[in-house]
Amino acid sequence: MRRSAALKMLFHDRATALGSIAGVVAIIFLVGQQLSIFFGLLNFTSVLVDNSGADIWIKTRNTDNINAARTIPIAYRDRIMGVRGIEWAEPIVVGAGLLKLKNGDYLAVQVFGTRRLRLIGGPSRFYAGSLEGLLDGEGVTVDRLDLELLDYPSVGDIFEVNDKRVRVRGITQNMRGFNGTILYTNLEKARELVKMPADRCSSLLIKVQDSTNVKDMVLLLKQILPKADAVSSKELSRQTKLYYLQNTGIGFSFGFTTLVGALVGVVIIALTMYTNVISKTRDYAVLRALGARRRDVFYIVFMQSMYIAAIGILVGFTLLSLFLTFTKDTDLPSYMPWWVPPIHAIGTVLLCILGSLIAMRRAVRIEPATAFR
Amino acid sequence: MQEVKSDPVIRLEGVARDFFDGKQLRRVLQKTDLDIYPGEFSIISGPSGSGKTTLLTIMALILSPSEGSVLVQGNDVAGLTEDSLAALRLRYYGFVFQNAALISALTVMENILIASVVQGGSVSKKVRERAEAILERLGLMEYAHTKSEGLSGGQKQRVAIGRALINEPMIILCDEPTSALDVESSTIVMETLKEISRENRGVILVSHDPRVFPYGDRLIQLEDGSIITDTGS
Repeated sequence: MRRSAALKMLFHDRATALGSIAGVVAIIFLVGQQLSIFFGLLNFTSVLVDNSGADIWIKTRNTDNINAARTIPIAYRDRIMGVRGIEWAEPIVVGAGLLKLKNGDYLAVQVFGTRRLRLIGGPSRFYAGSLEGLLDGEGVTVDRLDLELLDYPSVGDIFEVNDKRVRVRGITQNMRGFNGTILYTNLEKARELVKMPADRCSSLLIKVQDSTNVKDMVLLLKQILPKADAVSSKELSRQTKLYYLQNTGIGFSFGFTTLVGALVGVVIIALTMYTNVISKTRDYAVLRALGARRRDVFYIVFMQSMYIAAIGILVGFTLLSLFLTFTKDTDLPSYMPWWVPPIHAIGTVLLCILGSLIAMRRAVRIEPATAFR
Repeated sequence: MQEVKSDPVIRLEGVARDFFDGKQLRRVLQKTDLDIYPGEFSIISGPSGSGKTTLLTIMALILSPSEGSVLVQGNDVAGLTEDSLAALRLRYYGFVFQNAALISALTVMENILIASVVQGGSVSKKVRERAEAILERLGLMEYAHTKSEGLSGGQKQRVAIGRALINEPMIILCDEPTSALDVESSTIVMETLKEISRENRGVILVSHDPRVFPYGDRLIQLEDGSIITDTGS
């Protein structure tokens, strides 16, 4: 009865109730879309690792960002292949390139070379063409998100990268990196484009036969290759994301806008909930005179804030899911890890309570004598 | 033959109340002794500022006296916690406020039932049946599921009487219940309150409207914080 009365008292003043709900929606949506873009961008930073299909990476020591790794001797591969439990070890070449656009301008790209015939680490999602296009000596891929920038090339079109000819053999689907377009190609073409000698490579990708044994294999490979660094793909992905988080402004930038979004929501909730309590002062005074204790009045306002939170979260997440749906496969990176929405919802409930605190404080201070004035 | 009165439901012994008006302490209710009996319809009257509402809120256990004792059912309430006083109000008191003071977001039935569950719990079948009987008695059954804001002033005040009755109180305190009503509605409300007082409940009504005086068994008149007339003493 008290719960339904709380709900009815809340919605009796629709404008303030909707205002409070708007505050919760603002928190869910503004913070949620900032977080989704943040995680989308973070995913871009580690796309090379996450997409590699490898269990372990061998790279230069003291490099915690795979996009900036130096080179290692390709001969390491022979040593690795001699280790029991290794399924395959494949070299890759990563470097920078300048792609000449049709209008004469240049576009900075990241070149990623993968060895024929396996093409390990190559792109997995295609909008047009296929991975086999990289078997072509001058074959490269461009990403669908960059089509406008590249003046809508088709499969078969020719470009120049670092003054060398390349031919578009595939258009990838959302395989963009944090630094922009990733131009996937074969190892030989990549060496030619970034001028890397034949006895060097950027990293070695390793697949182990028993995927439960990755940790032990990492330790073993560190012993075998003391001048290089062996790291699991999972750890490298984490390190790379952390590197960008610490060394670029995205952490602060998104943290700040997230904070502002939350703050705006809390202020809206606080103002509207307070207004609601003020407009219902006599109702609460009457309840107090009838025998309600302070905590009974608190309970009613608390339940109101819970209703606001529940409705706002429902509406907010509906809007957020629409946002995620509409931004999927667009050049706006948006990605929501599964564990974020529950934390976001709990955080929002806490912020809703925080926003309602002033109103609750005001409500419990209403004296029953007010009913007689 | 002298009428034998039962024990008072409320007894005030030397009760006085001071207020600080920002400059000095002002006594708004002089030392007062008063007994309120079950089955008695008492009307407290007096000009504005005479201390009527102060006296009423002290009897309602909402305002504590600066001096003296308040006894409810023979028990001194001095020293009781705020929660204990709220529990006493819930158990022994019913209230009818000026302008009814119904919760406009709720229906007539909900306004009556809320008084039984203000401290939590669910409405029992027995209480619901009692509420229906009260509405029937007050001629408001057809409005049971109507929002209270859709009722006339007289109807609202009758709902407020229903709300006051739901917990079967010993005492009903009424604060100017007819002040905003027309003559016809006032008559209905006063007759209803008179009828209720005959059910062995103490009804105390504060009003400065002389038209309500004939309904009372007892008239207590206040002036400058002192009782100047008490037809019951």
